[in-house]
Amino acid sequence: MNAERFETASEEETIALGERLAARLPEGSVVLLTGNLGAGKTTLAKGILQGWIHLPAEEISSPTFTLIHEYAEGVYHIDLYRLDTRAEVETLGLDDIFDHARLVLIEWGERFPELMPANSVRIELESAGQDRRAIQVTALRPAAPDQARETGK
Amino acid sequence: MVVSPTTGPMKILGIESSCDETAAAVVEDGSRILSSVVASQFDAHGKYGGVVPELASREHLRAIVPVVREALEKAGCGYADLSAVAVTYGPGLVGSLLVGMTYGKAIALSYDLPLIGVNHIEGHIHAVISQNPVELPSLALIVSGGHTHLFEIREGLHYRLLGKTRDDAAGEAYDKVAKLLGFGYPGGPVLDRLAAYGDPGKVKFTLANMKGNRLDFSFSGLKTAVLRWTEARDITAEVEARKALFRENPRPTTQQWLERTPQATRDLIASFQSTVIRELLRRAQSSAEQTGARSVIISGGVACNSGLRRDAPAKLGRIPVYFPEPSLSTDNAAMIAAAAFPKLARGEFAGLDLKAEANLALAGA
Repeated sequence: MNAERFETASEEETIALGERLAARLPEGSVVLLTGNLGAGKTTLAKGILQGWIHLPAEEISSPTFTLIHEYAEGVYHIDLYRLDTRAEVETLGLDDIFDHARLVLIEWGERFPELMPANSVRIELESAGQDRRAIQVTALRPAAPDQARETGK
Repeated sequence: MVVSPTTGPMKILGIESSCDETAAAVVEDGSRILSSVVASQFDAHGKYGGVVPELASREHLRAIVPVVREALEKAGCGYADLSAVAVTYGPGLVGSLLVGMTYGKAIALSYDLPLIGVNHIEGHIHAVISQNPVELPSLALIVSGGHTHLFEIREGLHYRLLGKTRDDAAGEAYDKVAKLLGFGYPGGPVLDRLAAYGDPGKVKFTLANMKGNRLDFSFSGLKTAVLRWTEARDITAEVEARKALFRENPRPTTQQWLERTPQATRDLIASFQSTVIRELLRRAQSSAEQTGARSVIISGGVACNSGLRRDAPAKLGRIPVYFPEPSLSTDNAAMIAAAAFPKLARGEFAGLDLKAEANLALAGA
């Protein structure tokens, strides 16, 4: 499985990285954002959504409490942080979402691996001191210039 | 359908199921709360077949019928006495919203009652407006686990969004900090109780200035700053002690928490609380001044916070500030029925095709 490593030095850089990654996420992608509290999962999600649907980053807020944000038809930002059991997650109807979604970003999804699609893209974020973040991306398609153009980048 | 205002008191049945709570209430003439039932309050009694885990559509489905029935019983009225049915149609989880909406629609259809769609956030505003002599224009700060919004409310109940959180909601920051310190989840109210035992000036948090809209909020950086504080010290033992206490007893007393919380951590909590409150009130005050507000409304779950209630009047100076009573701070259906009353008067009814809107906005910027 191909893994790529990135490092960002600020929130702005993390958002910019998310925008670049967005161009490489095809329709139907499910992305698991993993990492500790404060690692920058929501920040990277802002960048990805900004890149994918051109939504300004400040419009994207944390879905921890609401569990699911749908930002455009079929574009979801989900957070399972406050759920503890598989039964609770099952009531969310994630299968339905995976079936018809164009893009799904999930924070804390790795806590329920059996409920996540096998072909998910995994992005692991880690604090590297102060505002620096080490970011590893697994199972993402290689950058293709024409594809980047197609998604409007 | 003709609704005549001369037919005596008008009772509205409100139904709310946008997030964790299943709630129903009957409110007369927009302010007199005849009943207000929230499903989670029955957990301890096991009245509805044991613990209601408060989550998602299946649980709403289990609770909706008994909750509505109980609201009507407590209000001493039947469907025939109602003037309208009001339902929350967003923002929230679509699956959860649909349960309350579908039930409300069925009642409206069966008893030939008008259906009124209410925005959940507007409900929080009416939790205060309906119970207090609020003068317009007003400034509303809605703070909860899911929302942190500033609105201007003009005459005729016209809303304008002035600012909102760009990342974590204020209540969410409380709950996440509580969890990382070992106070369980959601532990925001515990931090509020313990903040009184620490020095709020001890830990200095520097918050980045907002680029763009200066009335927007950001609490993610504060959460991370607390995390860094814990990483710079070895507090594993005390965190473990608190987690152990929470496992044995899901509702520890303040004294039990204090016994497991050294002074440095109490100071951290007090400093965190004072920073959140300062950020909330600074923006509330400057936007109230900017818009010439004659009153300030603070509503939503975090409106229960004792520090916020204590500091708000002084910070807002001459502008009167109104909070909801605690039972109307957290999610409830009385606020939904109250918010529906002006719509009933204006004949603003929804069709049976009313859709659940996950991202329903109250007003644009």
